[in-house]
Parts: sequence; C-alpha cells; structure tokens
Amino acid sequence: MASAVPATGRELSNPPSDGITNLRFSNHSDHLLVSSWDKSVRLYDASANVLRGEFMHAGPVLDCCFHDDSSGFSVAADNTVRRLVFSSNKEDILGRHDAPVRCVEYSYAAGQLITGSWDKTLKCWDPRGASGQERTLVGTYPQPERVYSLSLVGHRLVVATAGRHVNIYDLRNMSQPEQRRESSLKYQTRCVRCYPNGTGYALSSVEGRVAMEFFDLSEASQAKKYAFKCHRKSEAGRDIVYPVNAIAFHPIYGTFATGGCDGYVNVWDGNNKKRLYQYSKYPTSVAALSFSRDGRLLAVASSYTFEEGPKSQEQDAIFVRSVNEIEVKPKPKVYPNPPA
Amino acid sequence: MGKKKKRVSSKVWCYYCDREFDDEKILVQHQKAKHFKCHVCHKKLSTAGGMAIHVLQVHKESVTKVPNAKPGRESTDIEIYGMQGIPPDILAAHYGEEEDDVPSKAAKVDIPPTQLVGGMIPPPLGTGYPSRPALPTMPPVYNPAVPVPPNAWVVPPRPQPWFSQPPVVSVPPAAPYTQQPLFPVQNVRPPLPATAPALQTQITPPGLPTSAPVPVSQPLFPVVGNNHTTTQSSAFSAPPLPSSVPSVTPVMSTNVPVDTHLSSNSSVTSSYQAIGVPGGAASNSHSYASGPNTGGPSIGPPPVIANKAPAPQPATNEVYLVWDDEAMSMEERRMSLPKYQVHDESSQMSSIDAAIDKRILESRLAGRMAF
Repeated sequence: MASAVPATGRELSNPPSDGITNLRFSNHSDHLLVSSWDKSVRLYDASANVLRGEFMHAGPVLDCCFHDDSSGFSVAADNTVRRLVFSSNKEDILGRHDAPVRCVEYSYAAGQLITGSWDKTLKCWDPRGASGQERTLVGTYPQPERVYSLSLVGHRLVVATAGRHVNIYDLRNMSQPEQRRESSLKYQTRCVRCYPNGTGYALSSVEGRVAMEFFDLSEASQAKKYAFKCHRKSEAGRDIVYPVNAIAFHPIYGTFATGGCDGYVNVWDGNNKKRLYQYSKYPTSVAALSFSRDGRLLAVASSYTFEEGPKSQEQDAIFVRSVNEIEVKPKPKVYPNPPA
Repeated sequence: MGKKKKRVSSKVWCYYCDREFDDEKILVQHQKAKHFKCHVCHKKLSTAGGMAIHVLQVHKESVTKVPNAKPGRESTDIEIYGMQGIPPDILAAHYGEEEDDVPSKAAKVDIPPTQLVGGMIPPPLGTGYPSRPALPTMPPVYNPAVPVPPNAWVVPPRPQPWFSQPPVVSVPPAAPYTQQPLFPVQNVRPPLPATAPALQTQITPPGLPTSAPVPVSQPLFPVVGNNHTTTQSSAFSAPPLPSSVPSVTPVMSTNVPVDTHLSSNSSVTSSYQAIGVPGGAASNSHSYASGPNTGGPSIGPPPVIANKAPAPQPATNEVYLVWDDEAMSMEERRMSLPKYQVHDESSQMSSIDAAIDKRILESRLAGRMAF
C-alpha cells in the first residue's frame, strides 16, 4: 500500500522469456492467459500476481484463448491446435493445419473453436470430442490468403487475411462467406475486432490507421464508416508511422483501446469519434491488449514485435492496470442550446 | 404580466447553487470560479468534465463531485455551460419556484457578488455590453471591438452602472484569462510526454479512408470542424429569433459574440480546434478565450504563433512506415529466423519459406513495374 503503483500499471511476475503474441482475460475471473514466442502458454492470476500454470509447445505459440475457467486453447507454429486443461496441466491436440496457425477464437454461441492459419484455411472444431482428430474437425474453409486475424461477435465471424481481404461469415452457414470485402485501409491488415454491440468491426493496419466498419450493407449504415490516424509521431521533418498491433473493446462502454509499435496505448470513443485517453508510454511495442470481463482491468503486453527486424531484445513484460472510469467512459454530448 | 415575463427571461441562474445572475457571461464566470476550479492548482476550467479530467491527468486525483454544488447536483457527468445543458425537468422546476420569489429582493442580493465577479470580465466582452455608457468614458476600448455586435445585442438597462467598473480593471483580468486558451495545450502535455502522437491523430472523412495522408493531419480535426460549422449556421440564424422568441434571447445573445470572435480570428480558432478540443463546450470556451487575445495585443501573438507552427509541417512531411513489407506480416518474418524454426516440421517450413520467397520476388517485380 505504501508503494505507489507505477503509471504503466502493475507488472506481472514470471513473464515469458521471449516475445508475447497475445493475452486474454477470462470471462469468469481475473485469470489471464498469455501466449509467447518462447513456446509457452502461461496462466496468471492477474489480481494475485501469481503464475498458475505453464504449457510448453514444440514451436512458438501465436495465439491462445479461454474455453472456460478450467481450460483453454492454443495455436502454434508447429501447426497444432491444442486444448489446455489448467487443473491437471494436461494438453490434448485437437488437430493440425498445414502451416503455422495464427489465430484462435472460441464461439460460445456455436460451441465451436475457430482457427485461422497461414495455410490459407479456416477450421472449425468441436472441442467436446477430445479423442480422435477426425471427429473433432467440423469443417475446413479455404481463404483467399493467409489468415492474420479473427474476431467473433454473436454468430458473426470476421476473418482478415493477407492481401487486405476481409471475409464475414455466419457461423450457422459456413459453406460460403456472408460477405466478401476488401479492407478500406491501403496497407497490410494487423488486427480486426468486432464491436460488442454486434453492428460492425474495427480493423487496424501497419500504417497507423484504424477503420470503423459496419456489417449492414445499406447506404445509411455504410455512410457511418470512417477511418482515423493514430500511433504516429513527427520527427526531424518526417512522419514516423507505427503498426497498430492490438484493439480491445471495453465490455461495458463499447469504447476501445489501441496499442501500437510506438509503445503507446490510446482509448477511443468510436461513436463520437474522440480520443478519450492516452496512457504513458510503455517500454517497447504494445503487442496485445485485453480488458477484464468487468472492464476494471486492462492487461498490456509490452513486447518487441519485430517491426524493425532482429535487435537486442528488451525485457518482455505484462502490465495489468486498473482502469479509471473517466478513461473509458464516453463523455456526454454538449448541446449548443438546452432543449426547451 | 408582460413585465414579469421580461424579468423572468432576462434572469439566468446557476444549476449547481441556484444563484441568480442578470447576465449569462457573469454566470459562466461564476461557474468557472466556484464550481469548475481545480482545488489543487486553482486553474479555472470551462466545464465540470474538463475539470475532472484535468485533476485526474495533471494531479492524479479523482473528483467525483462538483465543488460547492447543492446535494443532488454534484454530478460531473452533466455538461453545464452557463444555462446550457441543464436537464429540462430541473429547468421547469426552477422557473416554477422563481414565481414565488420576490424579484426585487433577489436583485438586491445579487448586487455585491456581481461586482466581485464583474472584475473578471474580459475587456472585449465587457466593452460590448455597456457600449452606450462606455462611449463617452472609454472610446479607445470600444474602437478595437467589432462595431456590429453592439447593434445585434439586446442591452438590458440595469447592468449599465455595474459594467462601468470592468473597463477600469480591464488590464489585470486579461492575464489570467490568457491562460484559458492555453488550457487544452497544457492539459494535454503534462500527462502525455510525447505531443506528436496526439497531434498526428486524425479522423478522416468517410470519403477518404484509403487516400494518401491528408495535408492537415490534426487529431479529430474534420469532426470538430463540422461541429464548428453547425455552430456558425445556428449563430447566423440567431438575429431573427430574439424578436420572435423573447425567452430565448439570453441564449441567442451568447451565440452572436461567438460568431463575431470566430470570424475575426478564424485562423486562431482553427489552430485551437486543430489541437483536438473535445465537444462543443470546449469550442465555446475557446471563442470566449480568444477575446483576451484580441483585447491584449501583447499577450495574443505568442499563442497564435505557437499554434500556427505545427500546422504546415504535416503537409510537407515525408511518411516513413515502420513496417513496410506488404507481402509478409511481422510474425511471418519472425518465424523465418532459425531461432523459431520448428524442428520436427522442418520440411513443411522449408516449403513455406520457398512460397514466401516467391511472393516476395513477385511483389518486388510488381514494385519495379509500378515504378
């Protein structure tokens, strides 16, 4: 109590020994699941700052997610899709892709696991059938390019791939995409996240920009879409533009945080097109962000993301910060004249 | 009845403490001094929300209640600016109560606080209202002000004797008010060590999502500009409304000077908006704040120059992408290092490497053709 919490938040003990690829809060507790280039997936109790479990893989782990508080899933560069059981520290291999698996999401609506890979396919898995790979695989869906990012809301799945493709699926009919789109940003897609209210998605690129999109194809809805610049700085007469690695939506207010290779985390109000807050700079690139289920905590992965090639590694760290309501709550609109 | 209506319409009151004032500008000054002042550094902010954010960002303290407010009206979430933003039910309730009060007694009680608050009135705003009595005593002060506003404003007879004092005290109050236009800059800088990212943040119009970097890459500039345009259009429509709707006169009279200042200092206002002022309230505060700059030439130039400087740079700046490889993501590049190779899948990785190399060559060839 005597020592003040640093401006960046409390740093977790026993961080991964190499780059962090993703981190996620549980939907039921303050547990945090973290995947890393050091081939490990770690389970932390973020409130108690205790490492509760560690699962080693044959290759770098590129993504992970919770199933429930007792188990989760991981995907790795060894092409495997695994289920992790926290209490027993056991892991089962649900199946494989033909190339490293880049992202994983669990759909509570469909009861299925969805994985995206650099083999240009999307796969759906039924995690209940742990034995026998043939039984667990529900379907394989070809993509135009290597899959870079996935996001789920309700029955909707958004897949962002190389070549700036964006495919939108309804999980109840995976035979073909509901919509085939192209990113409205000119540069490589970095991250896609759906709005909690299910009306659209935010998509970030390596060119310091975020596009706000809507699913409804009507003219009225499409007129609402826009993009904005962020994570940039001017230096010696030139604009340095950083990739926007992470987008995380606040579960209650629908505002969202972005993290970039410039080491900054910003909070935005997408509806009112305003920036609400900017946190103090983190030691290195912000690789991943996650809000806790009640929005009171924000986990920040400060980890070099290789945007400038190999260089002497800085310390990889996970910060967990308390979120002040004023930082994430949209401000009420000011009307020029009070309504009579 | 007619007389009573006029009195009711001319009086404004503070949402937080129910005190009445004859002029909305005095009311705004009162709110800034009594309810929107930072208790740590005594800086006067323009809104309750702005004050709460300032205290949080600069002093790392949280303020959940507006100081000196009545119970039930302490919320910092309601954006009050003078009479703007008051919830309709409270507005109706207050007017109901006012009928029971004795107007003459209220007026007497208001006299002393008005004089105290009057000392903080900016020179140009003070000049505008007592234009008739001020002419014989201080013609030089009146000349710098735009001649059009006095004709458009409805000058109530009562404030005349009180406003005669502010011009005398015009010089000292200008200094503290000059700080107001700098508030957003100061507010942004302390908690944000790097100013550049804030300046570079900008929302582009829907029609230009894929275009090259916009020349003026200021944070949220187009949206704020749109709000500004809306305000201007409503301000233009203000003149006919006062005659038709007397009860709205005080509000409309507020808009006219806003328009005047904005038109006379359009470049300054644009620079302030470029900083990324949130919402209409801050924009209004800027229009008021620009008054002291006009009135005090010695203080005005520095902020103008400071704000103008960054504007042209983005247009000429070269853009450097930290990650410019379109063919491969950062993770794919990293996977190609020996350190991260998966040994038991080496054959598959080598084939993937070959495929990636082909794509790189193709993209380079395409790049050459483009050139």
